[in-house]
Amino acid sequence: MDGDWEEVGRLLLPPGQNAIPSQAQTMAFDTSQELLWVGNEYGRVSSFYSTELTRYTSFKAGEGPVRQLLIHEKGVIALCARSIHMGLRRGPPLWHITHDDMKDLHCMSYTSKGTSEILVAGLQDQMFAIDVEKGTVTKQIPTGDRYTKMKRSRYICAATQSGSINILDSTTFSIVRTWNAHASLINDMDAQHDFIVTCGYSFRGGNQQSYMHDPLVNVFDLKNMVSLPPIPFPAGAAFVRMHPRMSTTSIVVSQLGQMHIVDLMNVHTSNVRQANVFSSHLTMVEIAPSGEAICLADGECYMHLWGSPSRIRFAELSNPVEFADAEEAQQQVDWTRGTPLNTIGMPYYREQLLSAWPSHMIFEVGAPPSKLDPQLVSSLKRADWFDYAPNTRNARRNQIENTRTTEKTAASLQAPKFLSEKARESANEVASSERRI
Amino acid sequence: SLHANDTLYSELAREVENGRIVRLLMKLGSINERPDYDGELNWSENGERYVLKLFRDYVFHQVNAEGRPVVDMGHILACLNKLDAGSQEKITLTSRDEQSVFVVSYNEVKKQVNSAWADLQKPSRR
Repeated sequence: MDGDWEEVGRLLLPPGQNAIPSQAQTMAFDTSQELLWVGNEYGRVSSFYSTELTRYTSFKAGEGPVRQLLIHEKGVIALCARSIHMGLRRGPPLWHITHDDMKDLHCMSYTSKGTSEILVAGLQDQMFAIDVEKGTVTKQIPTGDRYTKMKRSRYICAATQSGSINILDSTTFSIVRTWNAHASLINDMDAQHDFIVTCGYSFRGGNQQSYMHDPLVNVFDLKNMVSLPPIPFPAGAAFVRMHPRMSTTSIVVSQLGQMHIVDLMNVHTSNVRQANVFSSHLTMVEIAPSGEAICLADGECYMHLWGSPSRIRFAELSNPVEFADAEEAQQQVDWTRGTPLNTIGMPYYREQLLSAWPSHMIFEVGAPPSKLDPQLVSSLKRADWFDYAPNTRNARRNQIENTRTTEKTAASLQAPKFLSEKARESANEVASSERRI
Repeated sequence: SLHANDTLYSELAREVENGRIVRLLMKLGSINERPDYDGELNWSENGERYVLKLFRDYVFHQVNAEGRPVVDMGHILACLNKLDAGSQEKITLTSRDEQSVFVVSYNEVKKQVNSAWADLQKPSRR
């Protein structure tokens, strides 16, 4: 981290339901636009634009807290406990998956198929492989271990509830190796290129009976499959991220905002910063894909954006963010009864208009209105300017009635008949009644 | 006589326009807020059709700074025309609780209307 890093932006997360500010449950920097994505505890995902962190879009991804976000070139994938949702960056959904065996999902990661497949797991006995393009579950994989965090580098690194890390093959999802990183719990993990770094807790017995942050960051070398000497961090390491461009540099942060920038190969020279989180503690830390910005979330719903004011940016190569077009000024029209509706012109078009009405739809018009039920009429009560009665009709609301046929059968007026016709009819009636006997 | 012909044509153009807008409104009216959609995933807040509800609000439920309803025929007609043509212009749609914010093009809304309309045409929907 360079000398001129400082806090460049601070944002209070917009309130969720009941206007109470909600804490960030997960966050992610976009890889191709200047956006920061944040998931809150009500299943809502919001994006914030550039260093001013102006609100861009927001959509609902599911019920309960958003557990993880993955950025895809086409949109954003959001994981909730029982569902997975993919939406465009502009907000509209692409797909939404729920499944009976999705009970308590916690984490996901891309697999060996680049960004076209994700592996989803959680505190449950099933993992899912999902095709991102189609939005379908392609495979269900039973697992003995339950996972809370996942990161993909050379392998898929999955943190369990018990402080160990399973290194999974990213094609077959079988366990290559298990590394016992911490005594009881893993609080944060990152994996990049050849390294896994973890922060964890140990259980302190005695009077306190509580969990304490371990005063060191554990490091694992994926190339040689051995653990490396840990990085000492006396303040208690709570969060750790690898620098995306400097492959051996990591940023370690304590719960009270002390940040150290450490080289894994030379752990004794570090660069120290302090974030202003005096009244609270940090809940999450994320680094941008460019390495030029980091975001710290605290327990009072503030997001602190850090970076060098002159060079801060989120993505390595940024595409412009798509905003709504400015509405063109409309000419003032004085709407009188005679003003034709085509005063407002059509824009240029080359496809079929939406108002095109299918030609096969032919309707009969002019059928008589349906009759009121006489029972209903008798029970009518008079109010100010309308009559009302309890609904006795044995049909759906607004169910259609074929009034033409009822009208015909109830026809009381008959056309006069010739004498010969009458004779024939009575003969028929006699014949039919005889047959009945 | 030529002049009379011109008058007739311009009158005709006006009425053709009316028919187009009425057909469009009929489509939108028969799609939106059908109670049989209650509990259907597509129309829920994370479903694809949610955009249609927000678009209806955008077109017909404008308010001013004091929150008073504003009915601007020009706005409604301009929106409907752009929807009819499937313009690529993008608009911002916001839900009533202001929690959801979408940026969509008229063309995308048009596609959703078309697919909802096609659903209605299917004789046995479930």
